[in-house]
Amino acid sequence: MTRIIGMVCSILIGVVLLLPAGSLRVTDASPVQVVEVDKATLHALQSRYRSLAKQLSQLMPAQPYIVVDTARNHLYIKRRDQIMLDAIASTGSGTILDKPGEAKGQWIFDTPRGEFMVQSKLVNPVWVKPDWAFIEEGLAIPRSTGDRIESGVLGEYALGFGKGYFIHGTLYPRLLGKNVTHGCIRLNDDDLKSVYRLARVGTPIIIF
Amino acid sequence: MRRSVSFVRLLVVALLSIPSAWATEPDNIFGVDLNDPAALQESTRILAEEIKLAARPQTYVIVDLVNRAVVIKGRGTELHRFPIEQWSAAHLAEASTTFRLQARPPVTRRRIEPAAGDDQPPVSLDDMPTDFTLVFSPSLLIAVHPSATDDPWRWLQFTVREWWRWLKNWIRRLATGQEPPVQPVLQLTLTPHHAQSVAWSVTEGMPFLVRRTPPAL
Repeated sequence: MTRIIGMVCSILIGVVLLLPAGSLRVTDASPVQVVEVDKATLHALQSRYRSLAKQLSQLMPAQPYIVVDTARNHLYIKRRDQIMLDAIASTGSGTILDKPGEAKGQWIFDTPRGEFMVQSKLVNPVWVKPDWAFIEEGLAIPRSTGDRIESGVLGEYALGFGKGYFIHGTLYPRLLGKNVTHGCIRLNDDDLKSVYRLARVGTPIIIF
Repeated sequence: MRRSVSFVRLLVVALLSIPSAWATEPDNIFGVDLNDPAALQESTRILAEEIKLAARPQTYVIVDLVNRAVVIKGRGTELHRFPIEQWSAAHLAEASTTFRLQARPPVTRRRIEPAAGDDQPPVSLDDMPTDFTLVFSPSLLIAVHPSATDDPWRWLQFTVREWWRWLKNWIRRLATGQEPPVQPVLQLTLTPHHAQSVAWSVTEGMPFLVRRTPPAL
């Protein structure tokens, strides 16, 4: 009896594993199909391919640009495919903070993805603490802007890339390489200085 | 003499700062066999689509089945590349446009308790799934899963799910006598770490292109 049950189970598992595989027709082991074209057509195809490849390469940033890898917490400055700087960074923690008094309102602390550009370059920046910074610390939100200002926490430089997001320094270099920020990108002092020197207003920032 | 030395220095700096693309002709970025019409056709199609995507400030993904890689790009530059261990597909002939991702793979985000201090762990790559399905508009499914050797349990779950999907289609076909609508489906086997990286990197609305191998054309 046990043998029969075992056999039935084996057959079922075999069916489970084999059926869907058969439903997908194309695999990487498929033979290459041969397409016959005349010489003129082939030449036209080659010309179009070359022309499009050239067009694409012209869309690549000609000047140095910043790339931020939020999964591995690295910031790179690149010129074409050449890496000019590879810095360990800290990016958004991905955590959630509920907005008090709002049933569905919440802040999500992600570093935004996509392409941005350096919009501002600041020396000795001060942090104008947003509401979430007070709520996170369990403090009351101040009424006066003056009570929101905190100096010396962002490092010597900050590069703004829109909607309140900055590349800036940190008081906690031991946390570099981890996803711990509220969306900004933190660097150590030396790397921040290099980024400040190499980037201009308008430098593209590609974040993924 | 000093002037000529500084002129030479300036010249060297100027030469070094010439973009590398000027030095090498970027006419074969896919490394495609220029005498293979089918490969040329497909690469040309991808290039034409990519030019439209690269012209906008966004990141996009090319699932390159020829070179077996998932490539994240922006402005025509390669940002990251994840190797594909294996792939299989159905109805790929239909997959000849730009697809928009409908939703990111789900991740459980941690909620911050106010005034709880720094002991609140962030979301990390390890929190991302290794086995997930990406749904696109127009219709395309990309199922990402680990191999049987990398994660047998996840692989089994994935296989059972695929079997169930196949069975449902088969029963529907049997009951109605009609073929289900054709939908391109792509299955990618990635290492768990690469699968998690892909899950992390993709965003809602992100454009995807599939570079197909000649048999799928």
